[in-house]
Amino acid sequence: MKEGRTHKRFQKFGMVIDLDKCTGCGSCMVACMAENNVPFRKDESNKLLSITWMRVYQLTNGMPFPETDVCYLPRPCMQCAGQHEGHSPCVSVCPAIATDYSMESGIVSQIYTRCFGCRYCMASCPYHARYFNWWDPIWPDGMEKYLSPNVSPRMRGVVEKCSFCFHRYQLAKDRAFMEGRRELQEDEYQTACTQACPAGAITFGDLNNPKHAVSKMVEPDPKHSGRPKNPVAFRLLERLGTNPKVYYLSSRQWVRHAGDNYLENEKKVKKPVQHG
Amino acid sequence: MKIGRRGFLSFVIGGAAGTALSPLPWKLTDDSSIWTQMWPWTPVPEDGEASYVNSVCTLCPGHCGITVRKIDNRAVKIEGMKGHPVNNGGMCLLGLSGLQLLYGPMRVKTPLKRTGKRGQGRWEKISWNDAVSEVVEKLRDIRSEGHPQTVGFISGSDRGTVSRLFERFLTAYGSPNFMRMPSVRDSYELTQYLMQGVQALPGFDFENTDFVLSFGSGLIEGWGSPVRMSRVHSAWQSAGVKVIQIEPRLSNTAAKSDKWIPINPGTEAALAMGLAHVIVKESLYDADFIENYVEGFFDWKNLVIDKYSPDTVASITGIDSRTIVVLARGFANASKPLAVCGRGNGTTPVSLDECMAVHALNALVGNINKKGGVWAVSEPDYINWPEIEMDAKAAAGMQHERLDGAGSKTYPFTRYLLPRLPETIDSGEKNPLQALFVSGANPLYTHPDTRAVRNVFDKIPFVVSFSSYMDETAQNADLILPNHIYLERYEDVPTPAGMIQPVIGLSKPVVEPQFDTRHVGDVIIQMAKGLGGSVAKTFPWDSYDSCLKETLGGRWNSLIEEGFWENNGAMPPFFGTSYETASGKFELINKDAGSIPQFKPVSIEGDEKDYPLLLIPYDSIRLASGFIGDPPFVMKTVEDSILKGKDVFVELNPKTARKQGLGEGQRVVLTTPKGKAEVRVHLFEGIMPGLVALPRGLGHTAGDEYLAGKGINFNALIGPVEDPDSGLDTAWGIRAKLEKA
Amino acid sequence: MHTLDDHAKDISEDAAGEAGPNSSLEMNLKEQDTGAGGTIILFFILGLFASLVVGWIVFPKLLYSKKKQPIEFNHVLHVEAVDNGCESCHFFREDGTFSGAPKLDQCIDCHEEIQGISPDEIKFVEEYVSKGREVPWLIYSRQPDCVFFSHAAHIKGARMDCVACHGHIGESESLKVYEENRITGYSRDIWGKSIGGFKKNTWDRMKMDDCAECHRENAANIERTDVQTPTQRLIDHMVNLVSPGTSTFGKGGSVQTERDPCFACHK
Repeated sequence: MKEGRTHKRFQKFGMVIDLDKCTGCGSCMVACMAENNVPFRKDESNKLLSITWMRVYQLTNGMPFPETDVCYLPRPCMQCAGQHEGHSPCVSVCPAIATDYSMESGIVSQIYTRCFGCRYCMASCPYHARYFNWWDPIWPDGMEKYLSPNVSPRMRGVVEKCSFCFHRYQLAKDRAFMEGRRELQEDEYQTACTQACPAGAITFGDLNNPKHAVSKMVEPDPKHSGRPKNPVAFRLLERLGTNPKVYYLSSRQWVRHAGDNYLENEKKVKKPVQHG
Repeated sequence: MKIGRRGFLSFVIGGAAGTALSPLPWKLTDDSSIWTQMWPWTPVPEDGEASYVNSVCTLCPGHCGITVRKIDNRAVKIEGMKGHPVNNGGMCLLGLSGLQLLYGPMRVKTPLKRTGKRGQGRWEKISWNDAVSEVVEKLRDIRSEGHPQTVGFISGSDRGTVSRLFERFLTAYGSPNFMRMPSVRDSYELTQYLMQGVQALPGFDFENTDFVLSFGSGLIEGWGSPVRMSRVHSAWQSAGVKVIQIEPRLSNTAAKSDKWIPINPGTEAALAMGLAHVIVKESLYDADFIENYVEGFFDWKNLVIDKYSPDTVASITGIDSRTIVVLARGFANASKPLAVCGRGNGTTPVSLDECMAVHALNALVGNINKKGGVWAVSEPDYINWPEIEMDAKAAAGMQHERLDGAGSKTYPFTRYLLPRLPETIDSGEKNPLQALFVSGANPLYTHPDTRAVRNVFDKIPFVVSFSSYMDETAQNADLILPNHIYLERYEDVPTPAGMIQPVIGLSKPVVEPQFDTRHVGDVIIQMAKGLGGSVAKTFPWDSYDSCLKETLGGRWNSLIEEGFWENNGAMPPFFGTSYETASGKFELINKDAGSIPQFKPVSIEGDEKDYPLLLIPYDSIRLASGFIGDPPFVMKTVEDSILKGKDVFVELNPKTARKQGLGEGQRVVLTTPKGKAEVRVHLFEGIMPGLVALPRGLGHTAGDEYLAGKGINFNALIGPVEDPDSGLDTAWGIRAKLEKA
Repeated sequence: MHTLDDHAKDISEDAAGEAGPNSSLEMNLKEQDTGAGGTIILFFILGLFASLVVGWIVFPKLLYSKKKQPIEFNHVLHVEAVDNGCESCHFFREDGTFSGAPKLDQCIDCHEEIQGISPDEIKFVEEYVSKGREVPWLIYSRQPDCVFFSHAAHIKGARMDCVACHGHIGESESLKVYEENRITGYSRDIWGKSIGGFKKNTWDRMKMDDCAECHRENAANIERTDVQTPTQRLIDHMVNLVSPGTSTFGKGGSVQTERDPCFACHK
């Protein structure tokens, strides 16, 4: 926790997704699309081209009938902090400084007007959380009426990704300023996916704030790059060292194991080991 | 002075130097870069004042409370209403995409009259006055010929003022043919009537149960009130409530359950009887409840002990007999167990046998009308309109039997039998249905055996659709009188499916009507007034809004403010004395109905030799399969293992695939006795060998390019199978074969 | 080998070999050389001058089109008539967003009927109020879509005055001409009246750099000890001693730029 001249405590916005509760319904995907003016095309079945800032993946335990099991995993942008805070894979490679890491909030921003579409960040993101606008978005016949003025619609040739609904932070700060304060309460800034989830599987808040639900749920360990102390919590591709801010909870061991690439002889390992 | 080359060059260099020293190049660069960011076709949404309007979503019977964020007078985001008793802030993906339906290209923008042949898609715009006059004229002709009973109405629902206005109109006009779209509610309604003697809604106290036994119900696939079910499902996870899912395929519900028990499809009733056998034999039932409040236990018990031993049931269902015994014990020993039925998202009825067997299980453990159990919920009785004064024509018309055969001698207790309508129309030479109105339903898509339905439809001379969207039924209608969509109209919204607390919601206009549409309630009132006479007298209101306000009476103000009214702390009808059967008790065997609880397999179509596989449907919450198809956002969420391009994938167990020599992604022809289609194979270990599963909700032929032409409509491959006890269509699947394409 | 120089020598020797007329030819050539040099300088200066004139004077005239506001609005008159100064018509909503240019509803409060004698007011009431049409005001401070500007943060948070960014518009008797950049469509007030981008007052320009100037001095200064090595920090301090306030490193939460994070102002 760094203090500045203004004595502002740095926040670290993160998410905890309870995979036991997640039903795979996809509400988070659609809430995000509706909130962030995400474009859509006639054929969205090519998932390499389909822009879904939040995407729900289906995991399976690979067992034959009748021991088959499936689990759904919603994946927003992980807002990686990297090994040294601020060195997210995507931020480190952007030649245009279109993507940036904010120490004050921990969120990786994407500024569309600077991006010139080299897609280097897409190559570096291990979570495939970044999407490219190959075409200009088309909103048929009157549908552009539902576009929100709080999020800039993108033109073709730029990369976009989940921003943890940062525009809601901006609007919440506006309200706070009116009331003469600068600090936001936990429930004043919540992402669209958190709000919409019918199962209440997503929790969002400040990982640096011990009072917020997210830090209570996973107990991030500051000495080990935020690795969760809670044994049923895990992060995706923990061992890559991206230090993501999205944690997952699952009581099923096979699900926790699906969160990283393990070699055959590592399958028995219960807790992921951090290398490098 | 000669300018010469040098002079010219130096002029140019001087100019270049001067240009560099002037702001021109730098400003032009800055301006050009700004210009490149401003393609005129990338919209810049206008900012304005943000406001929120509370309303209720009626895209499914879930009836979640919504709050819609607006910027000036544009709606920009639909969010769940926090504090609403159904969803408390959560939203399903269909509700979240409502704005795409509001502003989208599928909307019918004015009243339309068909030119050209049915289904050709050639329409002319007509004015509302002309449209209503045409309808009134047609109705007047039919009435004057003395056949008012030849007019029918298909409605998505029979609750709430709008549906009741439809029914009221038909009664005053002289037709008993008000038909509601089928669902598992038909089965439950009949079961509760036969066993408890009450006409009620099935309500399930999921919030207080500790053991859920689900016979194929897609609890998180869209069954009941989807968001409520998601919420309560999460609560079960935290509270350690045991959930057992019994179905042939690993649905999401099965994957999240504590135990998934694969069962031979269609044999759920046998399992229920088998469980009852164990409970009775080991005396695990609620003796107090059985002794004091249940009739017919003795006969019923003997039947169950005699015919449904675990071994017998094991051979029918394919479930190990030990599993059956352990399950029965687990169910009966829980403190508040609850058994439910209704496959997938509950839009197909189950056979009376099955529903009664499952309901009997609940009776055995004594959870009827108790905390954590199944309740017979009565609708809050707020629709108190003056009596209908029928004139002679109306009275004569009402004497006729219903065209769908409901309430007839064969099926005296079933209330609606829409699937039997095509049969009736096809039977005689003269079509007994001269005019059909459709509202809140899309039977040409959702009804099984779409080809036969289309043929029958063509025989109905006059079809009017009130649909707001150009769906399959509207496309084949003669007149479309588009209703406002739910975000543009006032409407009362009755208790959501499966809730135990009665809740009335009020759907409010969030935005002005975007097109030249009219509230269907207003149209009915205008039609009635146009007909004059006793029909007009039955509709003393000037407009639908004034009718609604009057009907809701004192509740109007709180409904406008809160958006909902709930009967907090409503008690269930007392489990002891709330039965209105002949015996005054819960009747396990109903002699009047002549139905004895048993397992009679539903005779699904197809010969096993010709069709070696079984085709079953499955529901996904991401594929809306009701009267609304997926908006573009929801289509985006459909996995590429279900839909790729225009091809739909059927699920096949790898063992079955290997036997047939089929691989992942392979193109095959799926043939059933009712039709054939080209599909692709997806290997899935989570489905029983010998089965083929096809998702419902695809294969639309009407709608915009985001929805239409993708995949196959399951209903085109299956036909209705009549349950001999209730008349309901209880086909849970059909025999099929797969051949390489 | 016969070199060029030898060749030249041969020629001049040849030329020199012939007396009289050749020498005068040389003389003539010399004279012409001097003339050419003058031409070069002259044309250079001409070119320089012409392009400077084009760049500084002609260019702005061509670049900006002049548009008139739909109604001639007198700010002084209205400011005198209301109680709260700017905030009476340009106010904050409850949720903290800024209302911007007032909508018709606000004007109707007083202008339901004609209040004064000006022909503009009559036009306003006839063409807009009575027809319920919103006046299509041309907004001088309109920023691109990528910009998120929070009036609440600046006025309520930083307690700034309207004048600092908007100038003395409240003291004007009529709305100035809206000069629209033909290429970008934005007002001249964004780049600034001076085509060279020079400004005297804080309200002369509204480009991103102008916001950054003020932020650099006043806003979110966070000493970032994590990004600089001790040597860098030393140099930073020394730079600050020599010319204070010019060091731009080590302040602000952004990892790339070490200034404010991008989405403080962008969306």
